Amino acid sequence: MCDNHEHKKLRSNNRDLQEIEKQIDRRHFLKKTSLGLGALAFSSLLGTEKLWANINAESSPEEILNAYNKNRLGLPHHLPKAKRIIYLFQSGGPSQMDLFDYKPKLTDMFGKELPESVIGGQKLTGMSGAQSTLPIAPSTFKFQQYGESRAWVSDAMPYLSEVVDELCFIKGMQTDQINHTPAITFMQTGNQLPGRPSIGSWLSYGLGSDNENLPTFITLVSKNGKGQPLKASLWGNGFLPTEHQGVQFRSGKDPVLYLSDPENYDGHDRRHMLDYLSHLNDLQTDSYGDPEIQARMAQYEMAFKMQTSVPEVTDISDEPEHIFDMYGKDSRDPGTYAANCLMARKLLEKGVKFVQLYHQGWDQHTYCPGGVKNQSKKTDQATAALIKDLKQRGMLEDTLVVWGGEFGRTIYSQGQLTETNYGRDHHPKAFTMWMAGAGVKPGFSYGETDDFSYNVVKDPVHVHDFHATLLHLFGVDHEKLTFKHQGRRYRLTDVHGNVVKDLLT
Amino acid sequence: MNEVPDIVFFLGRFHPLVVHLPIGLILFAFLLEILSKWQNLKELKVAIPYALLFGAITAATACVLGYMLSLSGEYDGPMLDGHFWFGIATTLLTLMAWLISADKIKFIKLKTFKANIASLTLLVVLVSVTGHYGGNLTHGSDYLTKYAPFGEKPKETIKPKTVEEVVVFDHIVYPILEDKCISCHNPSKKKGGLSLDTEENILKGGREGITITPGDLSKSDLIHRVTLNPHNKDFMPPEGKNPLTEEEIQLLSFWIENNKADFKIKLVDSEKKDEILKTALAYLELGTENVTEKIPKLKPVDSLLIGTLKSKGFAIRELVYNANIFDVVLPSKTAKSPEEAKALLQELAKIKDHIYWLSLENNAITDQELTTIATFTNLRQLHLNKNAISNAGIEKLKAISTLNSLNLYGTKVDQNCFASLLEFKNLEKVYLWQTAITSEHVKEFTAINKKPLLISGVVK
Repeated sequence: MCDNHEHKKLRSNNRDLQEIEKQIDRRHFLKKTSLGLGALAFSSLLGTEKLWANINAESSPEEILNAYNKNRLGLPHHLPKAKRIIYLFQSGGPSQMDLFDYKPKLTDMFGKELPESVIGGQKLTGMSGAQSTLPIAPSTFKFQQYGESRAWVSDAMPYLSEVVDELCFIKGMQTDQINHTPAITFMQTGNQLPGRPSIGSWLSYGLGSDNENLPTFITLVSKNGKGQPLKASLWGNGFLPTEHQGVQFRSGKDPVLYLSDPENYDGHDRRHMLDYLSHLNDLQTDSYGDPEIQARMAQYEMAFKMQTSVPEVTDISDEPEHIFDMYGKDSRDPGTYAANCLMARKLLEKGVKFVQLYHQGWDQHTYCPGGVKNQSKKTDQATAALIKDLKQRGMLEDTLVVWGGEFGRTIYSQGQLTETNYGRDHHPKAFTMWMAGAGVKPGFSYGETDDFSYNVVKDPVHVHDFHATLLHLFGVDHEKLTFKHQGRRYRLTDVHGNVVKDLLT
Repeated sequence: MNEVPDIVFFLGRFHPLVVHLPIGLILFAFLLEILSKWQNLKELKVAIPYALLFGAITAATACVLGYMLSLSGEYDGPMLDGHFWFGIATTLLTLMAWLISADKIKFIKLKTFKANIASLTLLVVLVSVTGHYGGNLTHGSDYLTKYAPFGEKPKETIKPKTVEEVVVFDHIVYPILEDKCISCHNPSKKKGGLSLDTEENILKGGREGITITPGDLSKSDLIHRVTLNPHNKDFMPPEGKNPLTEEEIQLLSFWIENNKADFKIKLVDSEKKDEILKTALAYLELGTENVTEKIPKLKPVDSLLIGTLKSKGFAIRELVYNANIFDVVLPSKTAKSPEEAKALLQELAKIKDHIYWLSLENNAITDQELTTIATFTNLRQLHLNKNAISNAGIEKLKAISTLNSLNLYGTKVDQNCFASLLEFKNLEKVYLWQTAITSEHVKEFTAINKKPLLISGVVK
C-alpha cells in the first residue's frame, strides 16, 4: 500500500521537524563532506565503487553472497577449539582456600598473626585494613583428593568433586582490583571502568551468530541474589555496535516479556509492518548515518524471531525426570542457579555462542564457613550436572565452561576469629578459577600459591592472560581483534595479555 | 680525543647532507658534457666550468666536514680509509677538471686526447666509488646487496631443531644482537667505539665502559642501556629503531647473569634453566606442545554454492578465515524424513572435502545416508546423535581416516559396533549415551583398548 514512497526522500510536514531535518551536526557534516567527497573521487578514479560499497539493490548475487559467507573481520585467525561458552560467574569473590586451594600447613597456625612479609606492604581494604590484628584463619572445611587427577576439593562441593577429571584449575589467578564493581567490570570487560565491551560482545562482534533466531550473547542471573549489585554494563557492548550487547533473560517463568501477541491480534501482518518500518528506518539511516538506527532495526528483527525461538528453547517441560534429578530439585524452580544452568545447556544446544550466568552471594566478609557452605549448596550440584550433561551429549568437546569470581579472599580473618567462625576480606593477588571442555587440559591444575594462599609463587595468570587464552580457544588472536573508537584501536586485552599455552590441549 | 670541541661533531654531522651537492654537480657537469656534443645543444658547454667549480668547492667542504665526522671515532677500519682517500682524490680531480674545462690548463701536446670528457668520466667513477664506501659506512656493507636479485644470499644461521642443540650465545644472544644492535655496532661503523660482532669485540666493550660483566647485570652497560626510559638520550637502540622486546631483554640478561656470559654454554646445561626455558623456546619457535594442526589450503568454494546450501537450512561457518574449511550444522529437525535428508546430503556433498566439523543431529539420517557421509574424507568431528543409525552404518564411516570425534548418542548402535570403531585410524572419542551400550560394555572395551575413549552417559 505504501510502496509508492520508495524513491522519494521522506520529509516531515511539520515545520519544527523540518527545521531539525535541515540541521546536520558538525561531525556528520565533516564526515559527509570530507570522507564522502574524497571517497567519491577516489572510487571514480579507480573505478572500484562496487568493491567497497555496501551491498545495495544493484549488487550482484555473487557480491551479496560473499559479504554474507565471509567473516568481514577476517576471523577466525586460527583453527578454533571452542564453538560456544558458558561462563558461570560467581559474583562476590568465592573463598579459594575454603573450596580448592588446600593449605594444610595452616592448621597449626590458627590465630597467629599473618606475617608482614607475606602481605608485602599490600594495601588492604578499608574494611579490614584498620584491624589491630590479622589472625590466620585456617579453613574449617575438610579437603580430600578426587579423581585420577588427585585434585583437592573441600567437602563444600561434593558434586563437583565427582567431575574434577574434567576440570582445569587455575590456582594462580590475579587481578588488579580489590573492590567489587571495578573488579567485576575488569573481569568482564578487561578494564575497571564501565564502558568497554564485555567478553561476550567482543565474541559476538568478531565471530557473529550461529543461530540467527536467537541472540548470540545471553545473560542469565540467579534470582533473589543478594550482595553486590550486577549491572548491565557487565554484559554491555561498550563502543561496539549495540546489537552485540548481552540480552538478559529474566530470572523467572517468563524469561523474555511481551513475546506473546496482545489480545485480539494474531500477528499475521507483523512481518509486513516490520518491513515497512525498516524501510522508514532505512531512509533515516541514509540521511543521518547513525549506526544506532541500524542496531535498532537489527533488534526489531531479532525480537520478531525470538517470538518463536524463545518459547521453544525456554520450555523445559520436555526434559526427562532424570535430568531434573541430576541438576537438583532447584532446577524445577525457574530463575534459580540450577534452572539457569539447565536453560543455559538448552541455549547452547540451539547455537547460542555465549551464555553468561551470574550467581551472587559469594562475598563472605562474615560467617564465611556458613556462607561458603550455603552458596555451594545452591550451585554445586547444578554446576557438576552441567559438566556431566554437556559431556554425555558430546558438547564438552567444543563448549568451554568457565567458573570463577572477580577476586579471591584473605587467609586472615576479617572480624573476630573463633574455632568455627571467621570472615574473609577481598583479595586480588591470588584466587582460583577453573575451566573445562573445549581445548583446555582436563584433570589439570596450573599455578601455585604460597602456604597462605596469599601470593602466587608459580605460574601466575592475570585477568588479561585469561582473556587472551579465552579468545585464543575461539580461534581469535587477542591482539588482532580490535575496534577503532575515539581515535585509537581497542582490544579486550588492550595492551596486555599472553595466551597461557600450558592450559591448552 | 676528548679535547675535540662539540662544535666539530656538530658540524661533522652535516657531512651526509653536504656530500650530495658535489655528487649532483659532478654528474650534472658530465651530463652537460655529453649533451653538448649535439649541435643544437653546444651552448651548454659554457655551463660546465661553473658546475665543476661549485662541485670542487662543495667537495672540499664535504671533505672537511667528513673529517670532522670521522673524529667522533664511530667509524673505523679500511672502509673509512677508502672513503677518506677517494673523497680527497675526487675533490682534487674536480678541481683539475674545472681547470681543464675553463682552459686554465691546456694539454697542447695531446690534441687528439679529449681532456674534458676523460676527466669527467674518471670523476664519475671516483664519485661512485667514494659514494659506495660512504654508503657502506652509514648503512653497513650488506645494505646494497641484501635484496639484490643476484649474488650470494647471506647464509642463514641454521635453526636448532631440538632443545638439546641450543647454544645460548649462537642461537639466542647473537641473533638478538644481529637483529637489533649490529647494524650500528660493527667493525666498520663502531658507534661509540663499540662493535658487537665477535666474542672478542663484545668483551672489549666501547668507549663508554664495560659492555658486559659476566654475572653482574648492574655492571653491564648493554643491559643498562636497553632498559633505560626510552626517552633517555642514552637509551639503545636510538629513537626510530626497534627497541628490544621484554623477552629479548630477559634472554640477554639470563645469558649475562646466569650463564656468566659463557659463549659456548648450551641451554640445557644452564643453571636455573627453568626460569628462561619457556621464553627461550618461544623465541626459537621450538614450542613442543604448540604444534598446531597444519591446515591445508583448499581451493575456494563457489560462494553461490554456499549460499544455496544456507538457503536450504545449513549453517555454514568458515573455521579459519580464507582457508575454505567449514563447520557445517544442519539444525535439528531440518530434515523430517530420510528422503529429505538424502536430498540435503547430496547437495552438501558438493563441498564434502571442505567440511571439517559436521553436525547432523536429529535429522532423520539412516544407515543409507551414511554411504554419502563416508565420502566426506576430511571430517574431524561428526555429530550423528539422535538419528536412527545402527552398527552397519558405523562400519561404512571407517573410511573417514581423519575422524577424531564421533557423536552417536541416542542412536541404535550397540556393543557390536566396537569392532568397527577399532578400525578408525584417528578416532579419539565416541559418545554413546542413550544407546544399547551399557557402562559394563564400555568397561570391557576400555580394559583391552586404549583408543578410542568411549563416553557413555552419567545418567540413564
